[in-house]
Parts: sequence; C-alpha cells; structure tokens
Amino acid sequence: MGTMWNRQFLCFVAVFCLISSARGNSFPTREEVLASLFPKSTIQVERVFLTRAQQQEAVLLSGVKVPSALIARYIAWKEGEEVGRAYVDTHVVRTKKESLLICLDAKGLLRRIEVTAFREPPEYMVSDRFYAQYHGKALSNSLSLQRSIRPVAGATLTTKATNQAVRRILAIDQVLRSHEGSPL
Amino acid sequence: MRRLDSKMARFFLILLSLGVLFSSGSMLWANPIEEDLEAKIAEFEKRLAELEKRNKELQVDRPDTEESISVQVEELQRQLDILAAEVERMRSVEQATELTQEDANKQGLGLSAASVYSKSEGLSFAGYGEMVYQNYADKKEDGTALDKTSQMDFLRAIIYTGYRFNDRFLFNSEIEFEHGSTSKGGSASVEFAYLDYIAHENLTLRGGMLLIPMGLTNEFHEPNVFMGVHRPFTEKYIIPTTWRENGFGAVGSSGIVNYRAYVVNGLNGASFSASGLRGGRQKGAKAKASDMAFVGRLDIAPTPGVFFGGSLYRGGSGQNQLAVNNKKLKVMTTIGEIHGQAQLQGWDVRGLWSKATLDDVAALNTHLSKTGKDKIAKSMLGGYFQTGYNVLSQLPTNVSLMPYYRFERLNTHDGLVGTTDVDLALDQTFHTVGFELKPIYNVVVKADYQITRNKAKTGYNQLNMSMGYSF
Repeated sequence: MGTMWNRQFLCFVAVFCLISSARGNSFPTREEVLASLFPKSTIQVERVFLTRAQQQEAVLLSGVKVPSALIARYIAWKEGEEVGRAYVDTHVVRTKKESLLICLDAKGLLRRIEVTAFREPPEYMVSDRFYAQYHGKALSNSLSLQRSIRPVAGATLTTKATNQAVRRILAIDQVLRSHEGSPL
Repeated sequence: MRRLDSKMARFFLILLSLGVLFSSGSMLWANPIEEDLEAKIAEFEKRLAELEKRNKELQVDRPDTEESISVQVEELQRQLDILAAEVERMRSVEQATELTQEDANKQGLGLSAASVYSKSEGLSFAGYGEMVYQNYADKKEDGTALDKTSQMDFLRAIIYTGYRFNDRFLFNSEIEFEHGSTSKGGSASVEFAYLDYIAHENLTLRGGMLLIPMGLTNEFHEPNVFMGVHRPFTEKYIIPTTWRENGFGAVGSSGIVNYRAYVVNGLNGASFSASGLRGGRQKGAKAKASDMAFVGRLDIAPTPGVFFGGSLYRGGSGQNQLAVNNKKLKVMTTIGEIHGQAQLQGWDVRGLWSKATLDDVAALNTHLSKTGKDKIAKSMLGGYFQTGYNVLSQLPTNVSLMPYYRFERLNTHDGLVGTTDVDLALDQTFHTVGFELKPIYNVVVKADYQITRNKAKTGYNQLNMSMGYSF
C-alpha cells in the first residue's frame, strides 16, 4: 500500500515538474532568440539610420509604410561567415504595440518570427503556426494574407500587422544589402 | 718752426672739424633710413620668427587637433549609439514595467488589486466601484405575485492601497465600503491585507488577511473583470465570494503553472444555512481559529489569455463551539472546484463546477435546531458556463462591446435530494443574457436579463444594470 502511494506521489511530482518546466507566458528576449537560432555565432549589434532615399526605396519595395529611419539590426557571424540577420519591428496592432524579431538567413530568406513584446490583451496573439508560414519566404507580391499566407480567423489585426512588418523588414534588408554590397 | 707748427695745427683742426662735420653729417643722413629699415627688418624678423614659431606650433599642434576631433567624434558616436539603442529599446516596449493581466493572475489578483506589484518602491493607490440597478418582474414563474421593489445600490466603493518596502517586502490591502452608508445597512470592511516576502522570482511567502484562492471570481472580483451584472451564484453560496480569512501561505509560479497554498482559520459552521456556506465566513474579524483549514490552487496557463485548473479547501468548521450529547463537532468542510477561462481573439469563455461536502451534518442541524427545509445539506453543488464575444474585437478601437450568455445550475440542498426535507426552491437554474460595454478597459456598463427557475416554481425574472470602474 505504502509503495503504491509512494509511486503515485512520485508520478504526481514528475507530472508537476514536466508541466512547470514548460515555457510560461513571458516573451523571449532578442538575445535568447538569437542564441537559439544562431548557436555558437557572434552577434553583431547595430542601430542603422536609413537615409531618406533608403526609406523611400523600402516603401516602394514593400508597399507599406516605413515610419522610422532607426532600425535595430543583428548580424550573426560564424567562423568569419555571415550566417544570418535579424531585425526588430515595432508596430501598433490594434491600439497598442507589439515588437517582432524577424530573423533572416544569409540569403535574406525568412527563418523565424518571434514576438518579443505584446501590449495588446493576450487574446489578440496568434499561434506559432501562423508565423511558421513565413519560413523560407522572400519578399514578393504573393507574400500577403489570402495569398501565400493563410490568415487566422478572429485575429485579423494581428496578422495584418505582422504581414506588414515582415514586408517592411524584408524590403529594408534588401535596400541595406544593395547599398552595402551583398553579402555584408 | 713754431709758425709751421701753428699752420699744421690749424690744418689739423680744420681737418678734424671737417671730419667731425662729415661724420656728423653722415650720421644725420643715415640715421632715419637705417632706423626705419632696421625697425622694419626687426619687425619682419620678429614676425617671421613668430610665423616660424607659429608654423612650428601648427606643425606640432595639427596631429593633436585631428586626434582631438577624432576622439570627440568617437565619443559623440558612442553617445549616439547609446541613445539610439535606448530609444529603440524604449520604442520596442519590451522593457515596459506595466503590469499585465498574466502578472496579476500569478499573484491571485485582478489588475487594479495588483498595482503595488508594478512599483519598485513606495505607495500604491488603486480601486474600483460599482453601482447596480435591479428591476423585478411582477410575478413568479408559477404566476403568483412577486413583491420586490426595484433597487439602485452603490454596491461597492473600494480602495486598494499598498506599500512596496523594497525588492523583497510589500504590503497590499483592499478596503471596502458596501451599500453606500453604514447607517443604511452598509459596511466598511477590510477585504484583504497581507504582507508578502518575495523569496524568489517563483515563490512568495504571504501572511495576513487573504483572499481564498478558489474559483474565477473570489480573487478577480473587479466589475470590469467578471462577466455579468451579478457574480455567478455558485461563487456566492458555495464559494462565498468575497471570501477572505486570516492565515499564511505561499504564492508562486513555475513555467506555465501558477499555484497558491494557504493555511487559514476555518469557517464558522454555526452560521451555515440551507442556502449555502456564505454565513460561515469569518472575514478576519476576531476569527475563531480552533479549527484551521488548508486551501490550495493550481492553474495551468498554456498560452496567454487561457488558464484552467482547480482548487481544494478542507478544514473543520466546528470551532470548538458545536456539540451534541457532549460530543464536539468538527464539521469537516470540503470544497472543491475546477475552472477554466479562455480569452482568445475576441471570445471570452469561462466555466466552473464546484461541490461542497460537510461532515457531522445531522448533528449540526440538531445543534442549530434546523429542521425541514431549513436543514443544512450534506453536499452542495453548482456550476456555470458563460461565453461572450467582443463584436468590436477586430476593429482598431479600444472600445469593447460584448454580448454574453451564462447558464448556471445551483443546488445547495443537493445532499437532501430524495428526502422530504429538500427545499425545491434551492434547486435553481439561471439563464443570464446581456451585454457589457467598455468604452475603455477601466470603465464598464452592463445590462442583462436574468431568468431564475427552480423546482418549486417560485423563480422570477429580473433586469439588471450596472456601471463599474477600476483604476
């Protein structure tokens, strides 16, 4: 009898530990995302100031507004080779802001989108499956909701804001690469 | 010879005079020019020397000046980088200290009640209030007259105040004024007042007057948080919201799990009634503590806006004051509940099921001289399901307009079903349909129509309206 109770208690403790080890509701930091996406890489941190011409070029390429010339960019280097880049895009979803860390590979294709801040009520968040649709994609006319990206019912504003952010960052990346020479 | 000498002397004197004259004459002629030239040369030489010196200085100084400028530019660049990083981080709202609903949930509090947790130090001040209007139908469901007067009550005016002493210690409290005036049946009460010791990010030790961590409303009872003009009846008669007792315990979270576990003074069984456990609350006022109780709660929050879990309360309610045939009654009271809440993409879905069981009920009824339909039942049962949808959720506006519906069952005489003592009027079903309008998150106007039915056919309908705020 005692052994059975001990087993049940141990099972309970194991289940509790398993559940409690699951990730909570807090958002990962940029550094955590970059470390997991670009392991054993050196991360170069930059704040880029777009020129007016670069801003206008990005608007033309993306078809969305580029409201700020100040861009946070992270470049991952491994053994002297650039292995990827990441940009932070902060925008209003409904009436409050969210920040996305949009990560690209060395060729400029989307690798991961991670929410690093979300000030809207949590009910407006969308699942990871929505963001996963962007993986491997580049800036094109089809990179939009109802085309290559399936929207999420009931989260129109979040998905729209995300798609605009992705297009904006891909365009900015193209502009910066063309001015700096590719690869960086 | 003398003449010759004289002539020679005269010639010598003339020659000397001429020599002097010429010499003096030459001096008179040369002096202004030479002086001018010499002065100019001297001046030029001086200037040249100065220029050479300056040139040398410039040649010497020039590398230093460039370096100095370079240092200044580098310093400005460094400062600009720092400012740009700061501006960009601030813009990203990643480091906002604003308390979220998720943070408040971990403390077992609504957003306003948790305001002290957003402080790094010092005083916090928040509150809420609600005014309720009730209008009753003229007849009960069996057609007999219902004699209830419409009522407009300033039900609650609440002040939350707390003080954060440092990173580890804080005080938090809720002072409640109910029904407008103590001279008109109102009351002034402390609803909670506790000290927290934040031992670890995931563990807080808490002591004082505590909200019992059960259900969806007891801890989260601000009018803009719960749905409906009235709180669910299950959370009034089985989980006697707002239920607070004196005690101590632990609060914390780990990953997706939030937990709270307290030891508190038990309920006072002498005040239980057929309609529920509500009268047994001791409210921290000279609480009888011969019987203590344990209450624990576990919530799992797999994704923001969603949590589900359960809680269990168990403790004696005899309080060394109930006895039959000289035998003390423990009146062990157990209340269990499971609950879930999901707020996703405009939807708000909540559900709760609860059951309470009492030991020594027959003896308790004997001691309290409760007979027939006044008897306290051995078990009580209740639960509800409610759902709402914010029809403006997909529009770029802060305004929320949420129609909602709640279905609820409650039977505080569940343990007497099948006996002649059962009060069929306590076997109730509630349908509540209405809407809530929040022009901003902190202000809410609600209106609903409530249909109450029971097996004694004495239920009735009523219209409820309320206005609430929290800050």
